[in-house]
Amino acid sequence: MISLVTAHPGGAGHAVRVAGAVCGRGMRRISARPTLIMPVLLMPLIFVIGFTGAFGSLTRVEGYGTDNVYNWMAVYAALQGAVFAGVGGAASTAEDIENGFFDRLLLTPGSRLPILVGTMGYSALRSTIPTTGVLLISALGGLSLPGGLLALVATYVATAGMAAVFCLIGLAVVYHFRTMRSMLLIQVVGFSSMFLSTGQVPIHFMDGWLHAVARVNPITNVLRFARQGFLGDVAWSTTWPGLLALGGMALVAGALALRSLRSLES
Amino acid sequence: MSGNLAASSERVIEATGLQRHFGDVVAVAGIDLAVARGEVFGFLGPNGAGKSTTVRMLTTLLRPTGGSARIDGHDVVGAAAAVRRIIGVALQDAAIDPLMTGNELLRLQAVLHGIPRAVARTRGPELLERVGLTAAADRRVGTYSGGMRRRLDLALSLVHEPRILFLDEPTTGLDPTSRLSLWEEVRRLNRESGTTVFLTTQYLEEADELAGRIAIIDDGRLVREGSPEALKSTVGSPTLRVDVDPADLDATSGVLAAFGPERPAREGRAAIGLEGGAARVAEVVRALDEAGVVVGHLELDAPSLDDVFADATGRRLEGAEE
Repeated sequence: MISLVTAHPGGAGHAVRVAGAVCGRGMRRISARPTLIMPVLLMPLIFVIGFTGAFGSLTRVEGYGTDNVYNWMAVYAALQGAVFAGVGGAASTAEDIENGFFDRLLLTPGSRLPILVGTMGYSALRSTIPTTGVLLISALGGLSLPGGLLALVATYVATAGMAAVFCLIGLAVVYHFRTMRSMLLIQVVGFSSMFLSTGQVPIHFMDGWLHAVARVNPITNVLRFARQGFLGDVAWSTTWPGLLALGGMALVAGALALRSLRSLES
Repeated sequence: MSGNLAASSERVIEATGLQRHFGDVVAVAGIDLAVARGEVFGFLGPNGAGKSTTVRMLTTLLRPTGGSARIDGHDVVGAAAAVRRIIGVALQDAAIDPLMTGNELLRLQAVLHGIPRAVARTRGPELLERVGLTAAADRRVGTYSGGMRRRLDLALSLVHEPRILFLDEPTTGLDPTSRLSLWEEVRRLNRESGTTVFLTTQYLEEADELAGRIAIIDDGRLVREGSPEALKSTVGSPTLRVDVDPADLDATSGVLAAFGPERPAREGRAAIGLEGGAARVAEVVRALDEAGVVVGHLELDAPSLDDVFADATGRRLEGAEE
């Protein structure tokens, strides 16, 4: 039996290969059927075009932070795209569960954690497609980069992180309910958490409960982190709260997703 | 119920009081199973009998709610990873991603089972050749026929050369040619590699053809277990089935009652276990004629697994008489 001689399932190397294979499978599916990425790409493009058109005059209000609406809205639209990408990653798992393919993954002899990590990696990777699309469209509209290359790095890190977080939230739900229909719940969470942040206007433009919610919404910190390079220089003091917010959300969502993954057997 | 397994045989699949409840629904109601190394074991039952639930528990995909099961000595709950290392599984409905090619799926399966790349590079083409899919290896699985998908599923389950193979209704929905081809592959695996095969099926013929021993499950309980021959011998007499005009059915049953015990039959047909066998068919025909019954069709079958099922449950397997 070769399996006893040559196979080493269960080690760290195996875990990395499994996560890579799960992530790679997702990307290959996109190249096999590009329409899979279309909603994730088109929605943020519509957002950036729509929001810059609707809110363009806001830049004339004192204290808005920039005189270029693309510099404010591009990051918001890119993060919306990342949320879609993350939810889409979880949706692909829902599809796998419904058609039975997920059983094949669950039968791996090693830990099942790499399946979760691979799906998260796939979501983060596919978020680069809408992010790039939004930045390119915004560049055509006049997006500028006062923060230089670091502005782009911060945006890509933030969008990949958001995609990973919303994939984990989606997986926590999908592993539990095991149906594609459960994804509706995540879309509501994704949309509302983005709207209840500083996505469209600075926090000092808000008042009442909206101001209070946006202040404690961790996505506000992620937006500040991602947007800073389009409003000025990239600074560590704005970067670490964003990274902390992403890390904190990923930890909580990851723990919930892991718990749900274990419940798949029961 | 495992009394027919030789005491000296090495048991690689063992279940004791295995149960699975889904809320108030009892899917598997405490079954005992023992399968010897190198055996082809048939797990026969109608839809919804508990076959797939049992397989899912034995393959660590579902946690039992009672009892225990061990695969080659490893507990399916406590040592699930060790179990998954030594088993191959082809589940019902051949869960295969239609957007991937046969080659891509084989590579993914090799990674999942920790097969080194160099080994996977040679084993993939070997397996594809074995199941006759070399020419289709780079085609998307969405373009495969049902039979091709099943064969690919079988190849995928063999990537890590498992000692024990679980096949959950592997030929459901296949045309007769594809079914025969898959049967031959299962036989070859068992013959050449000594692979233990746990096969669930709702097809009597499949269980009869492939399995050295069979367990019949109905409503979550094992109702019979043994070799096909031994099981059939318990039924005794052959089954005589008579098709008559529905208006004559009561009269027909009355006549037949004198020749043997009634057996379950589909609507519009009467059936008995004909005591004395074929030698008494002429006598039956004369008796029916004297009673004024016009016989549309009459057949005498040697005891089958369907008779065993009917004897155990009081009804026939769906479609078994067709």
